[in-house]
Amino acid sequence: MIHVDRLAKSFHDKKRGIVHALEHVSFDVKPREIFGLLGPNGAGKTTCLRLLATILKPTDGTAEVGGADILKSPEAVRRQIGFLSGDMGIPARLTPREVLSFFGKLNGLEGDRLRLRIDEMVETFEMAEFAHTKTDKLSTGMKQKVAIARTVLHDPPILILDEPSSGLDVPTARLIENYMLRAKESGKCILFSTHVMEEAEYLCDRIGVVHQGKLRALGTMQELRELTGKHRLREIFLDLLEIGQRAEGART
Amino acid sequence: MNLKISAAVYQKEMLEVFRDRRTMISMVVVPLLAIPLLFSLINGFMSSREKEAQGEALSVGVLGDDKLPTVIQSLKAAGFQPVVKADLRAAVEKKEVAAAVEETDDATTGEKLLNVYIDRTRQASEIAGDKIQTAIEKLKTDTVRASLRGSGLPEKILTPFTTKSVNVASEKKMSGLVFGSALGYVVILLMFTGAMYPAIDMTAGEKERRTLEAVLASPAGRNEIVLGKIAATATAAFITALLTLGSMAYSFRFSPQAATAQETFHMAPPDMGSLALALVTVIPTAIVAASLMVAIALFAKSYKEGMSYLTPIVMLAAFPAVVGMLPGLELTPALALIPIFNVCQLIKEIFLGEFSRVAYAVAFGANLVYAAVGYFVAARIFKSESVLFRV
Repeated sequence: MIHVDRLAKSFHDKKRGIVHALEHVSFDVKPREIFGLLGPNGAGKTTCLRLLATILKPTDGTAEVGGADILKSPEAVRRQIGFLSGDMGIPARLTPREVLSFFGKLNGLEGDRLRLRIDEMVETFEMAEFAHTKTDKLSTGMKQKVAIARTVLHDPPILILDEPSSGLDVPTARLIENYMLRAKESGKCILFSTHVMEEAEYLCDRIGVVHQGKLRALGTMQELRELTGKHRLREIFLDLLEIGQRAEGART
Repeated sequence: MNLKISAAVYQKEMLEVFRDRRTMISMVVVPLLAIPLLFSLINGFMSSREKEAQGEALSVGVLGDDKLPTVIQSLKAAGFQPVVKADLRAAVEKKEVAAAVEETDDATTGEKLLNVYIDRTRQASEIAGDKIQTAIEKLKTDTVRASLRGSGLPEKILTPFTTKSVNVASEKKMSGLVFGSALGYVVILLMFTGAMYPAIDMTAGEKERRTLEAVLASPAGRNEIVLGKIAATATAAFITALLTLGSMAYSFRFSPQAATAQETFHMAPPDMGSLALALVTVIPTAIVAASLMVAIALFAKSYKEGMSYLTPIVMLAAFPAVVGMLPGLELTPALALIPIFNVCQLIKEIFLGEFSRVAYAVAFGANLVYAAVGYFVAARIFKSESVLFRV
């Protein structure tokens, strides 16, 4: 479903000059799989997800999402994905139902089909109590529910989620985790980034660790344990970052 | 191009526009309340100043009751109150009297010379000066007439003919002159102000609130998103124009001061046909304003920054609008190509009832072209990563 081939992104920064946000990263995500992208802040996770969602254009390499090339057919890519940005991005003056209606229309839903899907989302993400309240009056957890509902409203086969449980309380995070597991069971391909190690350990079939724009390691939990000799993901992650730092130091 | 997507973006933006307090103030409250209030204040101020000036204009300075007794008598008969002052020029300058009269000898001819001191910067002094001239003219005529009676000549030789100026302009045209000259400027200025807040909110505001990314990741194309945003901003600009024209027409037609204003300027209230045509005329300019503002506001990363980018644009737009207010300018086909100026001029000519169809077609067509160019420029900017993700 997702095939990433030597994907790279550089941009010019007034203070830092040329910044290599992502350096020739390659990986695949299959249907019925949850793939977690881990990395410290500024590692290149969000850039990678934005490239796959065709919000940004790569400077080198390419990727196929649902069989469509991100450079040649960006609109075909966007028709197959549900993208959750790290900032939630909910229009403050609209109610959750209005937000869902807007994004449903952008994704080609209309009439009864749209209404039914909105009702379904309101029920799935327990939003009935605040479905008619403007989103600027909602708590972070409520907003994130709206954001997730908006992402999956049109039932896309591929989900690209940037930190879906960021800043959430445990019950809301659990609600979203359960949704991701159900989506996986239904055959969806899920690529997500997170800083929460327990969540990645619990949800992911495979994990990729990104650091300074490079993919440092990739594999199942078992494979990563064998690679580092560590057991907990937190230790594995820190170990991989240290190896990465040393490699960079040796190179420079 | 999927117009259903643009329609969805438009619908969502309009919902946000109607729920944004800043936009509602500039788009609805200012035209609906400020225009009638301004009209009422100006009218009230002018009539109270007029009354005040009329009262003040009755004081006239003289050197003494025994000096120029016949002149003083005539001035009294005309309603003046003579006030004795030692330095007449200083008394007028210090506003102690509205005007003053003094008799001197002409150094060259040796004839009696009647000096009327006035201060042309003061309305009361101007009025007093005119009234004194009229009273003295009457005194002069009466004096000559009395002399003629003894000579046996007929009094008619004093007035071989009289003059009367006849205004051939209809009340509608007079209305057009007063209404149309200022209206184009006011409509353009308020339209740009009305478009400013929605344009910032839909671009820099969305960047600041981080709501744009999710829309960009949807199947919506950038061209379709921009079209929806420009259409919503243009609607806001058009609503501002509609309410401005409507509230000005209401003020001239139904407000308590309307009758006084119509009488003062000898004009009829603006007719509905001209108002409707003026509204059609501003449509392409509303789109130009929207495209320009959306394109520029896209460069800003915050609402505040957007304000600092667009405020000078509103001022720049006011410049050709001010030129359009100048009297004596006519809209030739060449001048009809100048954006903003052409609309102001057309509005004026529509209310005067004498616009040229050729100039109208050229101006309307040119503004449509500018609107299309504006849209393509905005769409191009909207595709730029460095603009959208400027942090």
